[in-house]
Amino acid sequence: MAGTPRLAELRKWLAGRKIEHVVVLGANGTMGYGSAALFTQAVPKVTFLARTREKADEGLAAAVKQVRSPTVASRSGVGSYDEDLESAVADADIVFEALTEDLEIKREMFDRVEKVRRDDSIVATVTSGLSINQLCEGRSESFRRHFMGLHFFNPPNVIVGTELIAGNDTDPELVDFVEAFSRLRLGREIVRTFDTPAFAGNRVGFKVLNEAAQLAEQLGPVLVDRLVGPYTGRAMTPLATIDLVGWDIHRAIVDNIHQQVADEAHATLKLPDYMANLMDQGVLGNKSGGGFFKKEGKVRHVLNPATGGYQPEADIKVPELPYIEEVAHLHSMGRYREGMRVFLEASGEEAALARKVIAGYISYAFHRVGEATESITGIDMIMGAGFNWAPPSVLVDTFGKSEAVQMVEQAGLPVPPALVEAARSGEPNSFFNEPRVNIGKYFVAG
Amino acid sequence: MATPEVYVLGGYQTDFARNWTKENKHFSALMREGVRGALEECEIAPEEVESAHVGNFAAELYCMQGHLGAFFTEVDPAFSGLPTGRHEAACASGSIALLAASAEIEAGRYGLQCVVGIEQMKTVSASEGGAFLGTAAWYDQEAEGVEFPFPKLFGRLGDEYDKRYGLDDEYLAEISRLNYDNAKLNPNAQTRTWYMNKEHALCRTDDNPAVGGRIRIADCSQVTDGVAVVFLASRDYAEKWAKGVGQKIDDIPRIKGWGHNTARLRFEDKVAESREDEYVLPHVRSTITNAWQRAGLSDVNDVDGIETHDCFTTSEYMAIDHFGITAPGESWKAVEAGWLEIDGKHPINPSGGLIGAGHPVGATGVRQLLDGYLQVTDQAGAYQVEGARNFQTLNIGGSGTTSCSFVIGR
Repeated sequence: MAGTPRLAELRKWLAGRKIEHVVVLGANGTMGYGSAALFTQAVPKVTFLARTREKADEGLAAAVKQVRSPTVASRSGVGSYDEDLESAVADADIVFEALTEDLEIKREMFDRVEKVRRDDSIVATVTSGLSINQLCEGRSESFRRHFMGLHFFNPPNVIVGTELIAGNDTDPELVDFVEAFSRLRLGREIVRTFDTPAFAGNRVGFKVLNEAAQLAEQLGPVLVDRLVGPYTGRAMTPLATIDLVGWDIHRAIVDNIHQQVADEAHATLKLPDYMANLMDQGVLGNKSGGGFFKKEGKVRHVLNPATGGYQPEADIKVPELPYIEEVAHLHSMGRYREGMRVFLEASGEEAALARKVIAGYISYAFHRVGEATESITGIDMIMGAGFNWAPPSVLVDTFGKSEAVQMVEQAGLPVPPALVEAARSGEPNSFFNEPRVNIGKYFVAG
Repeated sequence: MATPEVYVLGGYQTDFARNWTKENKHFSALMREGVRGALEECEIAPEEVESAHVGNFAAELYCMQGHLGAFFTEVDPAFSGLPTGRHEAACASGSIALLAASAEIEAGRYGLQCVVGIEQMKTVSASEGGAFLGTAAWYDQEAEGVEFPFPKLFGRLGDEYDKRYGLDDEYLAEISRLNYDNAKLNPNAQTRTWYMNKEHALCRTDDNPAVGGRIRIADCSQVTDGVAVVFLASRDYAEKWAKGVGQKIDDIPRIKGWGHNTARLRFEDKVAESREDEYVLPHVRSTITNAWQRAGLSDVNDVDGIETHDCFTTSEYMAIDHFGITAPGESWKAVEAGWLEIDGKHPINPSGGLIGAGHPVGATGVRQLLDGYLQVTDQAGAYQVEGARNFQTLNIGGSGTTSCSFVIGR
């Protein structure tokens, strides 16, 4: 694939360093045990560390359950920070930090790690959006040279898209090494991003998710998930996705972006007040028993954002949207371009709203080139391999460039200069330049 | 007169991890996506296609759909009226379609052929699908009433090796590990996200259950949905096409040689026939050597890599000595020495093979040739065998019954 290093190059990057022992900090959390399980595939020894030994045991049990291989248990050890951190970290080739997304908590942990780590060990953080440079600020030169972000997506055993983020002082050879190790040994699709808030995938992805949550206040969750549904290029609908990742995680990510950057789509990154209020009452999505949707017995109930109450999905009236049926039918026959043309031409304010969200995704993604990644390919790859969404370039190619420009204009959103230029030149080249990646898989017929 | 040349212009493969039932897609979408992907990839206008051959094993069973040659015409209005047909030889169906298409080019009938290997299998449960696959054996004698007949037949292939030469399952686990590792480099491999290592492949617990004698889940290729498409062309067409895309005709790969044999259907009859032979499946051996002879090659040292039919680890173990990488019965030596790695002496299945890349039955033969094409044109990306000029495929239907092999090279 274009952009993917060749095997010979990856093998060269991999030479001269062995990973025999990985220590995972925060191994009881979802990302902690998921990452630790992933490491056991390729590393002979993985130590699960948590605040207590019991918590680490829970992490290991969850990892065994997630992966269902006896090698998860046979290659793993457990321990607590107080009793085992110093000896484990002193022996580790990679120290992998997966603590709560809190700068101070992580920095305190790095203080302890720095005192005992070997000078040549790699320290990686799975943070989904905190600054890599801030996280290692004030640490020794050796620490900063060996420190980087390695952002797996949840669950790591299923989602291969992974962001690799170097800090200002990270040794470039180590970044190459981690890329090669992650690709060859862990089967990751690596995208290098810059050290910007939420990096590339979550920056672009959660902007769309949050906009869907904002729209749900007026339209209700059922209609929103229908409008921004599978036919627009995704396996899972947006509000169901927020329920799955957890409202608290969603809040942490969008608040972080909203506070730190004032980009052209700032307003769409403000967490809706109803979500903040409901979170105060303990609503966190699937992990708290329900969010936008919850199952009661076999019946799906839906949140009313205005009241905080739930009602059975069958009782909720949504407008008939025959154009969605038509797009889904065309997708089911593999006629994706024709399907997206029907979407572009559909009349009615609902269709216009759906187009606005998709136009916002395209506009926002293309505007992040140079800021979050070097080229649109990086954003494309992480949206495809990390979110299972049609990458922005795939959508532009499928709509047609001029049509995509027009769609963004009609939505009243800023048109990325690269799109304008491509539409003007009239050249048939596609933006998406990964010929080995099927674009059809993103257009689910539903 | 020398046999006319058959050129390979490229093609397209769907992501074998996809489940088309979950995507709510009809069989025709699979066909359409594969063919349109190939047209775009090769910059060929639909009007240029003169004939099409579809390789498929059992769409009647899996999808309640026959007459797949006719389905080809649904892909584009320009295809209406084309001569098309469907070919079946169990897991070798794709190669049989390639053979028919290339024979028509050699006969001078057509200049540009589209060859489609296609199978949608995730429409039914594993046990139901296992029974369908049993029709690739002598059904009422070898498969009827047997749960998962094929793992059992290929378990017996391992047992036959064990009896004649000795076989340590550790080498089978290593074959599995290598195919899974290679698959991680292939963006269209079914198992690229799956958890595997040698220790797991060797484990004898419920995490890796036995499905047929010594065959465990880690030893199996997995059923999946997929299509692979290639374009084959005469020299005249290839020259014209090469000019259009700015390439030299000498850089376009050709099918240099082929082999094709069919042995008796029942496994026990094949094994009985080979009792005095140093090769367990001598018809597979002659398929491979015939391809070399037709390609003007002397032995396995003349090819830079192999895409072989590892429907189970035992079939790859068999292929190693049948290709002559080791003496008969000594396949383990090549495994142990690391010769089969992508940068080893005799790379096998850089794509991940059937175990790693997936085995949508009718698609496999075409997928193997397409991977050979990618290798010899330096387009295989992360699983590229450096400097590959000649690649060989081995595609097997049934329990070593129909075997086909192609040498593709420049």
